[in-house]
Amino acid sequence: MSYERELLKGNTDCLLLSLINSQPTYGYQIVKELQQKSNGYFQFKEGTLYPALHRLEKDNLIKGKWQMLPNGQERRYYYITKNGQQVLARRLATWRDFSTAIRSILQSETA
Amino acid sequence: MGKAVANKLGDYLDSFKTCLKIDSAVKGSVTHELRTHLEDRSQELKETGLSEEEANKAAVEFFGSPRLIAQQIYEVHSQGTWQEAFLAALPHLLVAFLFATYYWQNIFWTSITVIVIACTVIYGWCHNKPLWFFPWLGYYLLPVIVTGALLIYLPQGWTWVAALAYLPLALFTIIYIIKQTASRDWLYVSLMLAPLPVACAWLLALGAGDEFLTANVHLARLQPNIPWIALSFLVLAVATFTFTRVKQRWCKVATLLIPVSIVFASVALAGSRNIGFWGWLVLIISLFVVASPAWLQSRA
Repeated sequence: MSYERELLKGNTDCLLLSLINSQPTYGYQIVKELQQKSNGYFQFKEGTLYPALHRLEKDNLIKGKWQMLPNGQERRYYYITKNGQQVLARRLATWRDFSTAIRSILQSETA
Repeated sequence: MGKAVANKLGDYLDSFKTCLKIDSAVKGSVTHELRTHLEDRSQELKETGLSEEEANKAAVEFFGSPRLIAQQIYEVHSQGTWQEAFLAALPHLLVAFLFATYYWQNIFWTSITVIVIACTVIYGWCHNKPLWFFPWLGYYLLPVIVTGALLIYLPQGWTWVAALAYLPLALFTIIYIIKQTASRDWLYVSLMLAPLPVACAWLLALGAGDEFLTANVHLARLQPNIPWIALSFLVLAVATFTFTRVKQRWCKVATLLIPVSIVFASVALAGSRNIGFWGWLVLIISLFVVASPAWLQSRA
């Protein structure tokens, strides 16, 4: 497994919770947003998103609901739960501390 | 040609559904969700100038292997909660408790257990057959099998008349229940029938081999073995609990079949002097009935 893929796998939950926290959304839109916001950095098989979404839902961090769009099509929208918001806040704090520590070490190495 | 193109996504989703062994309602919802994603992606690709055939083909390729996605989704949904695991193990614990406390000899407590099992099965059947329901269903089938065995005790001549009337009905019930369970997941057939080889091994080991089939049961042999009978059902309870909690299919197969086989072999070998040719045949068939669905599915 490549290093980038390992990093993505380790942070999938945080990325998904963050996107769903900003607005309720559905699977295809999540894929598009991940690709757009990362300028195409995140490349993965789109279907692998759904096991992650279902796992988060089972852990009661998000909630999926079928909704009818104005054009009559249905989409399963995901909403973040209170539990999910708390978990996201904790993970973001951990991530900030972690990235600050990593950056300070790597900068001193490259300086 | 158009139909073949439309079928590209359909084939993909059919393949996904075949690989996904979860509750049919959840499976329907997940498949629908994946379909909307594939249609969105295909539509977007068509807007970039691809033909419908090319767009569907690319959408499927972007999506990934249906088998891998089904396996990952299965692992999310197949793991029961701690409560579900306890509920699934409960019928085995009840039977172990009945033997350990000698309540099995008390008609009141035995009747209460039968009523609890019947009510739980009816509740589970009416509530979309949750995972914990299948071990209970296995015990629900036991009276059907025991009643068939009791026909042997009828006066000469009546046995055949009763068997001819009863056997088709019993077989219909058993086949119907197995078919319903298999439509959900073949592994649950093994889970449901797990007590069968253990119960058969005990019955034949404590009876007098072929004589058992002619109603000569040696109850005196039962008394010193009561703790071991209770222990064997306790092992079944632990196996069922673990089966419910683990995620991977091969783990489920191993956690169910290994303990059942060990208990089965221990009991059968300990009582091998009492088991005749027909007894061994019954035991091998009972173990085969439990092991084959799980074994076949683990290879699927």
